[in-house]
Amino acid sequence: MDRASHLSVVVDLSPNHWYLSSTRTQQNARPLSLKSFLSQLLVFLNSHIACKDENTLAVFGALPGRSVMLHSSTNESSGNPFEMADADTYRPFKILDAEVMQTIARHVETLGPSDIKKPVELVGALSKSLCYINRITTASSTQSNEQTAALDPRILILSVSPDQSSSYIPIMNSIFAAQKLKVTIDICKVYGSESVFLQQAAHLTGGSYLHLERADALLQYLTMSFLPPPSIRQLLSVPTQDKIDFRAACFCHKRIVDIGFVCSVCLSIFCQPVPVCSTCRTKFPIKTLQRLNAARPTVATPATTPTVQTALSLPSSNSIKGTNVNGSQSTVQNGSR
Amino acid sequence: MPSVEHNPDSVTQSEWSPHILLTFLQSQSQNALTRLYQRPSSCLSIFRLLRPLERQLIMNILWLESATPLSTMSAWVTQEGKKPYSDSLSTLARLHIIPNSTTKLALNATFRASLRQAITGGGTTGSFGVPAEPDPQHSPPDIATLDAYALERWETILHYMVSSGTGQHPTKPSQEVLFLLQRSGLMTRVHGGVLQITSSGFQFLLHDPHAQLWELLLQFLHMAEERQMDLVEVLSFLLMLSTMELGREYSTENLSPTQSAMLADLRNYGLVWQHSTSARQFCPSRLATTLTSSSPPLPTSRSTGGGSHDQGFIVLETNYRLYAYTDNPLQIAVLNLFVNLKSRFPNLVVGAITRESVKKALANGITADQIISYLTTHAHPQMRKNKPLLPVTVQDQIRLWELEKNRLKSQEGYLYTAFASQADYEYVLNYAKQLDVVLWDNPTKRCFFGSLDGHANIRGFIERRSAGIA
Amino acid sequence: MKAIKGVLLTCDSAVKQILLTMNEKESFIIEDLDDYHVVIKADEEWRVRRELEAELEKNTYSLE
Repeated sequence: MDRASHLSVVVDLSPNHWYLSSTRTQQNARPLSLKSFLSQLLVFLNSHIACKDENTLAVFGALPGRSVMLHSSTNESSGNPFEMADADTYRPFKILDAEVMQTIARHVETLGPSDIKKPVELVGALSKSLCYINRITTASSTQSNEQTAALDPRILILSVSPDQSSSYIPIMNSIFAAQKLKVTIDICKVYGSESVFLQQAAHLTGGSYLHLERADALLQYLTMSFLPPPSIRQLLSVPTQDKIDFRAACFCHKRIVDIGFVCSVCLSIFCQPVPVCSTCRTKFPIKTLQRLNAARPTVATPATTPTVQTALSLPSSNSIKGTNVNGSQSTVQNGSR
Repeated sequence: MPSVEHNPDSVTQSEWSPHILLTFLQSQSQNALTRLYQRPSSCLSIFRLLRPLERQLIMNILWLESATPLSTMSAWVTQEGKKPYSDSLSTLARLHIIPNSTTKLALNATFRASLRQAITGGGTTGSFGVPAEPDPQHSPPDIATLDAYALERWETILHYMVSSGTGQHPTKPSQEVLFLLQRSGLMTRVHGGVLQITSSGFQFLLHDPHAQLWELLLQFLHMAEERQMDLVEVLSFLLMLSTMELGREYSTENLSPTQSAMLADLRNYGLVWQHSTSARQFCPSRLATTLTSSSPPLPTSRSTGGGSHDQGFIVLETNYRLYAYTDNPLQIAVLNLFVNLKSRFPNLVVGAITRESVKKALANGITADQIISYLTTHAHPQMRKNKPLLPVTVQDQIRLWELEKNRLKSQEGYLYTAFASQADYEYVLNYAKQLDVVLWDNPTKRCFFGSLDGHANIRGFIERRSAGIA
Repeated sequence: MKAIKGVLLTCDSAVKQILLTMNEKESFIIEDLDDYHVVIKADEEWRVRRELEAELEKNTYSLE
């Protein structure tokens, strides 16, 4: 029951959004600066290590245009020249804190003015953390040692920047990879509006999604919701979502759509009916296109119940020519639960 | 073959039972515990020994300034978590970490301050050990040297125990260790003053090193109490060792006199390395730094062929043959406790589990379950593919041999018979039943058998009664 | 009423039959209670155990 667990933390370090988060505005009554965020985060990371000697930790940073590993507890840090040991601090904590802060500082300094405008590489950091988990789990399972094999890996994403619809496909792919690796993805939205994609990530991997309501209580939120490993969550519940936004982004313009058109062959999503699927090159009959275009609502549908209305159109392949085109049309309701 | 019943919960149960140090701490006064909690390193180590749910409960309220209403916390507990939750709270209350209260949850203020400090760092307690200035004359030992040292010390103790009374004469551990072994009842002096291993000593040998280490340390703590040593200082030194870094030298300067005196004992157990007895630096070994973790406290044992040592080396077949890929004399000696060893090769020992070998082990006080659990934990990786791990025939047979030993159960006592009347008989039997001393009774024969310690009471009862009648 | 000091042996019925046979050679049983219980003289216990052991040993066979 009491076994080691692995935690990978992905920190969104978008300078623009941290600036916004730290300024007091009408909407942002409780500003949270990056500095105070990091100090609370470090305490949370220390708590994870404090819980069990064998607990492992990896921290990844998502910066504009790049993603970096900030710390990993499995890297032997004996060669680390972090001065003399301190009699007042537990040494692993000291190494962790110093390494995270120094790596962040080093990378932020090298950010040029052109970099600032780039979107943060959240997907890059997420994929790196998945690769890392894959490496440590496969390495430990070959040792056939039961104790290390049961790592209970999980990822915590601390996000401040909004969804980039262009990253829909890579994020979904990461989610599927996480499902396969049995990795739980937890999301803490520290600042900004709800993130559609991250909500789905948490939902699909059995993690917990939390939109921070009181930024000044960040540490308490982190400890209560994200510190317990999955085995404890059966006994002590953690917040879960009551409402999940299942909307998808179209493959053609990367827009988040309320009503999309799905290719009946490869399930690619488009925001408007297309004659040829851009992914699998399937051609659709012109009649279907006309009918679908006619059926499209002229004004944007109210997004109260976001649905992916899937209008299937038949490809013009010879084998199914005889089928009644009208009869094959179907609408898939895919709303929130 | 009948399948022998055994309790499958016993393993999971022991996983959930509190650490033996915690049980010891629960018997200490609140005063002593509060003094212990003054040091951040002690709090961190004790925190790690707690069970996962207890740790999470502490964490949930660690950063809160005011007490949490009990109802708020229990709202988080799921249906199946109710029992573990109340168990956890009562453990924490006994340790005086979360004082008992019917309305509010709050951490012991000292514990809270120290654990907060441990996690955030800083302060001036120096409780994580003051590192020593580099000594130009003596460079600190590297980790391999330390591991070899710890292993040598530890195996000397175990090897001495296992080979006592076999006619072999391995290296003797120091006098203090021998005394400790004797005090803990693991060894006893038989005629002629020779130390001989006891049945609890045999059981001890089959435990994993972690449990063995804590068992000895706990005994050490009991002895420290009798030696008028300050228990809090002894404990906080041990807990500090567990938070230290392997391969680093620490200074003895900040140690209290009690703690400096402990260094000699700890050297004997292999927990601490010093280049000379009067050195002003010491190095904790892996035995010490893994005290509060579950990673293996001993490095890969000396010289095994594939180096796959801590992963098990025993192959057991359905025909009771056993192959042990080891050349470690200690492991061979332990196997010899319950295996009939036949041949030995440079990296392999071959033997068989026989009725005689198991009977010998049972006579030494080792139980069938202990044999089976030893075989399970040290099974070779190849065996791990089998389900169940050990051949069922062998497991059942070992248990049957144990049952066979217990075919006859004897209890000393008195047979009460020839009662004058049925009422008389029932009257006395009733009294004896209230005392819970009746081992057997039969109303038609109008007699019953009572245990030895009930006799005085029953006799008194009958005498009073007959005196009353007369 | 009387009280007799002794040792209560609890065993299976097979062992009890052996005990009864042994008793014919040299008496040690105070009272035969039922199929699973007998009371014997306290000072005979170890001799009885030893002899029973030897008797049971005759019924086990090993390959070696």
